[in-house]
Amino acid sequence: MNRAVIIWRVASFLVAAGFIALWQLIANLKLVSPVFLPGPDRAWGALVRGFSSGDLWSKLAGTLEHMAYGWLAASIAGIAIGAIIGSSRTMRTYVAPSLEFLRPLPVSAIIPVAIAMLGLTQAMALFVIAFGAIWPIMLATIHGFAAVEPRLYEVARSLQMSRLAVIFKIALPSASPDILAGMRLSLTVALILSVVCEILAGLDGLGHWVLLSARAFRSADLFAGVILLGLTGYVTSVAMSLAEHRLLAWQAAQR
Amino acid sequence: MASAAKRLEAVSGTAAPQISFDAVTLQLGGKTIIENLSLGVRPGEFLCIVGASGCGKTTALRLAAGLYQPTGGKVNFDGQPMREPRREIAIVFQDYGKALLPWRTAAGNVSLALEAGGTPSAERPARIEELLRTVGLPGHAGKYPSEMSGGMQQRLQIARCLAQEPKTLLMDEPFGALDAMTRQGLQDEVLSLVAASGATVIFVTHDLDEAIYLGDRVIGLLPHPGRIGIELKVNLPRPRDQLSTREHPEFLRLRRQLFDFIKATEQ
Ligand SMILES: Nc1ncnc2c1ncn2[C@@H]1O[C@H](COP(=O)(O)OP(=O)(O)OP(=O)(O)O)[C@@H](O)[C@H]1O
Ligand SMILES: [Mg+2]
Repeated sequence: MNRAVIIWRVASFLVAAGFIALWQLIANLKLVSPVFLPGPDRAWGALVRGFSSGDLWSKLAGTLEHMAYGWLAASIAGIAIGAIIGSSRTMRTYVAPSLEFLRPLPVSAIIPVAIAMLGLTQAMALFVIAFGAIWPIMLATIHGFAAVEPRLYEVARSLQMSRLAVIFKIALPSASPDILAGMRLSLTVALILSVVCEILAGLDGLGHWVLLSARAFRSADLFAGVILLGLTGYVTSVAMSLAEHRLLAWQAAQR
Repeated sequence: MASAAKRLEAVSGTAAPQISFDAVTLQLGGKTIIENLSLGVRPGEFLCIVGASGCGKTTALRLAAGLYQPTGGKVNFDGQPMREPRREIAIVFQDYGKALLPWRTAAGNVSLALEAGGTPSAERPARIEELLRTVGLPGHAGKYPSEMSGGMQQRLQIARCLAQEPKTLLMDEPFGALDAMTRQGLQDEVLSLVAASGATVIFVTHDLDEAIYLGDRVIGLLPHPGRIGIELKVNLPRPRDQLSTREHPEFLRLRRQLFDFIKATEQ
């Protein structure tokens, strides 16, 4: 690690510490009523209490589960559909316009539809999360498949490779940088929609915890939940970056 | 010895053609690119094709590879009509950067051809090592193409083509993007590889000297539409040598003849 990197790390750490100090100061001076704004000390206390009683663990597990199932379903479906559309020029010309119409549709608009069809259930949550998270993955996959170097298909033809081999050895790896970037975007979408669905349908998870804490004016618990959600987003995105880095080591060589 | 006998046969013209174009015509986008092209390439022969830019050299090679189907006439391989590309015909593309898989190492790129050919995975590492050594890339097995120079990448593409164990090797200006020194080195390597494997070669180039230096026969194409304008037999002794072959009176005579032809087509 070189010096510049270390300096940046230290600087960003100091900025974070500064924010927490400022937060503590505002809370101590009671600039905002303690009913609404706990200090970092009380929020931390609530976190510790929540984890030691086990309550927060189960909420965290609930949210992670919603997020993971939705995201995985979106990834599998998004890659499969994206591959089919992206690898055929006719499909692209006919299907792409409809996708462009559906894509900007806010997912919140389909939540009532999902609730009407599936009720306030886990299935509804899974559907909504997957529906919202599929777009970045599917569009990235379409793009990745459409951008495969045609020369490589000629290499595949002259090697008489099977269709399946062409998909798995040529098209998918070639599209993988796009696909992984799409999957990373979807991760955030999946987290947001998990919280939304938990709040709307009262499903076990951090979203529900945050809602209940707010209703009961337990601001420390509320903040503990929010902090945990932030951390979840951060950690999953870092994990995704690490996975990308490993899977795309060949790209690092290219630069 | 077998390949020497085959070469003699090829040069003296007694063998049946391995690849034959029979009055081949190709239209693309309503334009006639190749017209009434007839040509036989005998097993073990090294045929070079030259011609002005845009005269249809690449197109002719793609027809021989089965990547294009003729709109008129027939392309045959070993007496059978060519309906699609086949593993026995390997093609070395000029743009090696695009023809290699950037996400696979040198070994992985060679492996692609072995996998396609059904070589059991236990036998692949040894084959890969041998092939990389053959093209002068030993010890680079773990490198990605992007970590290699242009010359090395083209060697790698050749290694992958050799992994196909081709009966015919098609090369489209394979050294066009390389510097003169690398180019001469690779010319000699290709000659010795081909002599060892006995493969038939069709080699497209812009470089008249290169064509004469490498070939048993050189064909010059005329443009619009592409057809044969000149055909020269190269009676130069093998193995060829960068210095003495290029100073040979026969070499100079052929060079002159070819040069005049190209000059005439460009007017
Ligand atoms: N797919 C295509 N559709 C229409 N015309 C084409 C197509 N491919 C090639 N041509 C035309 O056919 C002619 C011959 O092209 P080709 O690439 O075979 O030439 P070439 O001799 O290889 O040229 P160069 O020396 O520049 O590589 C050119 O005029 C080109 O514009
Ligand atoms: Mg060409």
